Amino acid sequence: MSPKPSPKTPKSSSSMFGMLRQYWKFSALLAGATIIGNSLGLFVPKFISWGIDMYSRGEPITETFYIEFLALSFGIFLLTYFQGVFQTYLSEKAAFDIRENIADKISGMTYARLESETPAKLLTNLTSDIDAVKVFLSMGFATIISSVVVIVGAATLLVRIDWRLALMVLTILPVIGLMFFFVFKKLGPLFKRSQELVDGFNLVISESVIGSAIVRVFDSGELEHAKFSAKNTAAKDTGMSILKMFSLVIPTIGAVANVASLVILAVGGGYVISGSMTIGDFTAFNSYVFILIFPIIMLGFVSNIISRAQTSYNRIKEVLNLPDEKEAGTYEHEIRGDVDVKNVSLIYGERKVLDEVSFSIRAKTRMAIIGPTAAGKTQLLQVLMGLTDPKSGEVFYDGKPLKEYAKQALYSQIALVFQDSVLFNMSLRENIGFSATVKDEYISKAIETAELGDFIHTLPKGLDTIVSERGTSLSGGQKQRIMLARALALNPKVLLLDDFTARVDTATERTILSNIEKNYPDITIISVTQKIRSVEHFDKIILLMEGELIAEGTHAELSKTSPEYAQIMESQKSTQAYEN
Amino acid sequence: MTTTYSLQDQKDTEPKGSALSAFRKMLPLLKKEKKGIIIAGIAILANSVFNLLGPLGIGYTIDHYVIPHDYPGVLMAAGVLLAIFAAAYVSNYVQMRVMGGVAQRVLWDLRNSLFVKLQELPLAFFNQNKAGDLISRINRDTERVNEFFSQGLMRFVGNIFLIIGAGIFILFINWKLGAAALAPGLILFLFARLVSGWIGRVNKKSLTASGLLSGEIQESIANFKIILAFNRRDYFKKRFGTANETNFKAAFRAGVANELFTPVFEWMGNVALVIVLSFGLYLIASGDFAIGLLVSFVIYVTRFYDPLREMARLWATLQTALAAWDRIGIILAFKSDLVLIPADSAETKRDGKGLIEFRDVSFSYPEGKEVLRSANFVFEKGKTYAFVGPTGGGKTTSASLLARLYDPTSGTVYLEGRDIRSYTHAERTKKIGFILQEPFLFSGTVKDNLFYGLDEYKGHSDADIAAVLEKFGFTSLVGRFERGMNTPITSSSTLSLGEKQIIAFMRAVLREPDLLILDEATANIDTVTEKVLEDIIQKLPKDTTRVIIAHRLNTIAAADDIFFVNNTEVKEAGSMEHAVEMLLHGKRQS
Repeated sequence: MSPKPSPKTPKSSSSMFGMLRQYWKFSALLAGATIIGNSLGLFVPKFISWGIDMYSRGEPITETFYIEFLALSFGIFLLTYFQGVFQTYLSEKAAFDIRENIADKISGMTYARLESETPAKLLTNLTSDIDAVKVFLSMGFATIISSVVVIVGAATLLVRIDWRLALMVLTILPVIGLMFFFVFKKLGPLFKRSQELVDGFNLVISESVIGSAIVRVFDSGELEHAKFSAKNTAAKDTGMSILKMFSLVIPTIGAVANVASLVILAVGGGYVISGSMTIGDFTAFNSYVFILIFPIIMLGFVSNIISRAQTSYNRIKEVLNLPDEKEAGTYEHEIRGDVDVKNVSLIYGERKVLDEVSFSIRAKTRMAIIGPTAAGKTQLLQVLMGLTDPKSGEVFYDGKPLKEYAKQALYSQIALVFQDSVLFNMSLRENIGFSATVKDEYISKAIETAELGDFIHTLPKGLDTIVSERGTSLSGGQKQRIMLARALALNPKVLLLDDFTARVDTATERTILSNIEKNYPDITIISVTQKIRSVEHFDKIILLMEGELIAEGTHAELSKTSPEYAQIMESQKSTQAYEN
Repeated sequence: MTTTYSLQDQKDTEPKGSALSAFRKMLPLLKKEKKGIIIAGIAILANSVFNLLGPLGIGYTIDHYVIPHDYPGVLMAAGVLLAIFAAAYVSNYVQMRVMGGVAQRVLWDLRNSLFVKLQELPLAFFNQNKAGDLISRINRDTERVNEFFSQGLMRFVGNIFLIIGAGIFILFINWKLGAAALAPGLILFLFARLVSGWIGRVNKKSLTASGLLSGEIQESIANFKIILAFNRRDYFKKRFGTANETNFKAAFRAGVANELFTPVFEWMGNVALVIVLSFGLYLIASGDFAIGLLVSFVIYVTRFYDPLREMARLWATLQTALAAWDRIGIILAFKSDLVLIPADSAETKRDGKGLIEFRDVSFSYPEGKEVLRSANFVFEKGKTYAFVGPTGGGKTTSASLLARLYDPTSGTVYLEGRDIRSYTHAERTKKIGFILQEPFLFSGTVKDNLFYGLDEYKGHSDADIAAVLEKFGFTSLVGRFERGMNTPITSSSTLSLGEKQIIAFMRAVLREPDLLILDEATANIDTVTEKVLEDIIQKLPKDTTRVIIAHRLNTIAAADDIFFVNNTEVKEAGSMEHAVEMLLHGKRQS
C-alpha cells in the first residue's frame, strides 16, 4: 500500500470536483459501491412489507424469503464497508499527493518567495486546507451520491406504492430543503466567526506560552487572562447563537417528519380501510418517509462542507499554480573570493532598507560591517547570499554577477552564520555537517575552530547526541558556536558572519577569531558586528546607517575621517582599556 | 526541591475502562451546571417518551381502528398523536437548548481554568516542555473537547435515552420477541469490546504520525533560509516525504478500522429486522401478537439500532475528546511549586542584608545538572553589579533566582531582609524588573508593549504619554520606529532583534523597579544606542540597584562590583581587571 506520488494535479481543474476526475478509478469504485449499497438499502422496508402482506394474504413465508433478506443485509454490509475503505483511500491518497506537490513547490521556492507567501499561510495550506479537502473527499462526495440515490429511490418507491399519498407526503421535501438552505446561509458566517475567535484565543495562548518568562516577570497573568477571557466569552456567545438556530431547526425537522406520518396514518389509514392499500404498503410508507428525511439533512451539511473545501482547495491551487522559479544561473566554477557590491537597494514596503550600497573586497581579506540597530546589516548579508533579491543593483563574485552562478555550486563556497540559532532535530554531527558536501575532516576542523571540542567531550554520546527542536538544552553561546561550525564545515571561500559573537564571551570570541585565521588562511570574511575591537585589524570596515553606506576604510582611516565611527568608538572605549 | 513538569514524563493515559469512569472525570466541571443538567435531563426523558409513544400509537391505531375499519377512530387517534408530537417538539427544543447551553458553559469553564492554570504555573513548566508542543497540545486538545461538546454531547445523551427507551418499549410490548430483537445488540457489544483495542491502537498511531508530520512541516518552513543556504532542499523533501508517507499509511490503516463500525451496526440492525419479521409472524400465527404491534415493533427496532449506529460513529469523537480531556487534566493537576509562605513565620524573620541577599543558595535542574552550590552574596541599594562568566556558566540561572522565576533547591533568597517567598507575586514583581535575554513582544503596538500591564497609564492622552516618554528619555528611541508609538507589532513584523531589545528595555524601565536585572539585554544593539540606554540606566532613581549580565565588557564597566559565575560558584571578582583576567584565562565550562 505504498503511495506513489501521482503526476501533478492538472492545472485545468479549478473546481474540487476535478480531483475526482484525477482519481477516477477510485472515484468510480466509490460511486459504484455507494449507489449499489444505498439502492439495496431501500429494499429493506420493501422486504418487511412483502412479508406482512404475504402473511395477511395467508400465504406461507418460505425459508428462501428469509435467506434472501439475510443475503441482502450482508450485501449491504459489504458494500457499505467497501464504500468506507474506498473513501478513506481516496481522501488520504489525494491529501498525500497534494502535500507532496506543495512540498515540491516549496522546495523550489526562493527565500524571497517563501517570505512573500508567508510561512504561516503555507503552514495553513499544508494542514487545515488539506484537511478540509479531505473531509469533502472522504465524506462529502459519498454523501451527495447516497443522498441523491436515497431521495430519488425512496420517492420513486413511494409514488409506485401509492401516488396520491406519495404526492401529499413529498411536499415536505421542499419545505425541509428550503429551511436548510436559509439556515445554512446564516450559519456560514457564524461558523466563520467562531473559527476566527478560536484562532484569536489560540494566539493569546501561544503568546503566553512563548512569552511565559516575561509574563512572570511582570506578573501580568491577569492581563493575559483578560485578553483570553474576552475571546473565550465571545466564542461562547457565538456558540450559543449557533445553538439557538440548531435547537429550532432540528426539532422542526423531526416535527415535519412526524406530521408526515400523521398524514400517512389519517389518509393512508383511510385507504387501507377502503381496501385501496395493503397493511404492508402502509408500513413501508412509514419507513420510507423516515428514510427520506435523513439524506435531506445530510445534503444541508454537505453543502457547508463543499463550500469550505472549495475555499481551501482554491488556496491550495493558488500555491500550486505559482510559476516555477527557474534557476537562472549556470556558472559553476570555483571562486577565489572577490566580492563586489554595486548600487544595491532594497525596499520593504515603504521602508528603504538598503540605499545604493556599493563596496568591494578582495579575496582572502577581511571586512567588517558596523552600524546601529536596524541599519540593514542583516539584510545586506541576505542580499550577498542571494536569499533576498535587491530592488536594484547587483552583487558580483569574482567579477561575475551573483545571478549567473548556479546556486548549488555557489552555496558550497559561501557560508552564512545566521544571527538566530537554528538547530534541527538530529544529531550534532548532522547539524554541523548539514550541507551534503561536507567531509568528515572538515567537520573536525570546524569543531576545533569553533571551540566546541571541550563541550562535545562532556556529552556522553559526543557528536551523536541528538539536539532537541529549539535546542533548549544548550546555552545561547553553545548554539551560536554550533552555527559557526556548521558554516565552517563547508570549508567555504567566503564566510559571512551575522553578529555571531553577540552571545559568546570575549575570551572565546578571541580564540575563535584567531582559530579562523589559523585554520582557514584563504578565507574571505565579511563580518557584521557590534564590537570594533574585534575587527580593528580587518582590512576594511564599512559603516552602515539607515541603509546607507556612510563611510568605508581601515580602522585607522575611519577613526580619523568619520565622526560617526569615532562616536561608536567612543561608546566602546571603556571596554578597550580592559581588553588589551 | 525542583518539581518535574515535563509532560513527556507523564504516560499518555489512554482512556481505559468504561465511559462511566471517564464521565466521572468530567463531573467537577459539570457540578456548577446541576440545574441545567436536571432540566435538560427531564426534557430528554420526556422527549424520548413522547418520541417512543408515536410508533406505539400507530400500531395501536392499526390494530384497533384500521383493521376493524373504524375511520373516525383513526382520525381521533391521529388527533391524539398530534398532541404527543407537539409535546415531543417542545421537549426536543428545550433539551437541545438547555443541554447545548450547559455544554457551551462547561467548555468556557474548561478553557478558562486551563488558561488560569497556565498563568499560575512557574516558568519551570514552560522550560521543561517545548513551546511548540505545548501550544499545539493545548489548542488541539481544547478543540477536540470543543468538537464533542458543541456537537456530539447532545446527540450522545439523547441517543442513550432513545436506545434505552426503545429497548424498554420492545421488551414491554412482547418480551420474547423483544429479547430476540435485542440479541444482535449483544453481538454488537461483544464486537465493540473485541475490536476497540485494535481501533484505539491504529488511531493513536495515526495521531502520532500526523503530529510528527505537522512538526516536520513547521520546522522546515521556519528554517527554510538555512535549508537554502546549505543547499539542502533535498533534506526538506526527504524528511517531509518520509513523514508524509508514514502519515498516509497510518491514516489509511486507521480509516480501515474506523470504517468497520457503521456497516457492522447497520448489518446487525437489519438482522434484527429479519428476526422480528420471522419470529413476529410466527407469534401472530400462534395468536400471541397482533399485526399492528408488529408494525410498531419494526419502528422500535429501527429506533433502537439507528441511534446505536450513530453512537458508534460518535464513539470515536468521544474517545478522542476523553483522551484530550485527560491530557488537559494532567496540566490542570500540576501545582505551582512557587508557594507563598507566611510573612511572619519564624524562618522569614531572620533578617537578610541589603536589598537582596543569596544565603547558601544551591540550584539544580530536575535532570540533575547542578548550577549553583551554596552561593552567598549581598546586593546593596543603589549599586550596580555585574555577572560575568562563560556561556552556560549559570549567569542567567542566578538572575532568574533573584527574580524568583525559580526557587533555590536549597538556601534562601532575601528581598529587603525577608524571605523572597513571603512576597506575593504582585509585590515582588513590582520591586524586581528583569530584561530577558530573548526579547518577547506581544502582538499589538509599540505602545501596547511599553505600557503592558501598567494600569496607572491607562487612559492617558497622547500628549501625557509623550511627556512620560520624554521624562524617561525615550522620545528618540520610540522615534526610530516607523510609526512611533503606533507601530504595529505582529508575528510577521520585521523588527530586528536589536529593535525588540530596545522595546523590551524601555518596557522594563518604565515600571521603575527597585532592582533591575539586564540579562544580555543589549547584546544585539549597536554600541551608540547602547550608550543612550546606559545613560537612561544612570538616570534611574539613585536607590535603584542594577544587575547586569553582558559579554561586552563596556556594558559592565560602570559596575560597582563584579561577580564571576562559573562552575557552580559565584565569586566576587573585585576589580574589572581581575574579572577580565578570569574571563580570559579561566577554564570554560560549557
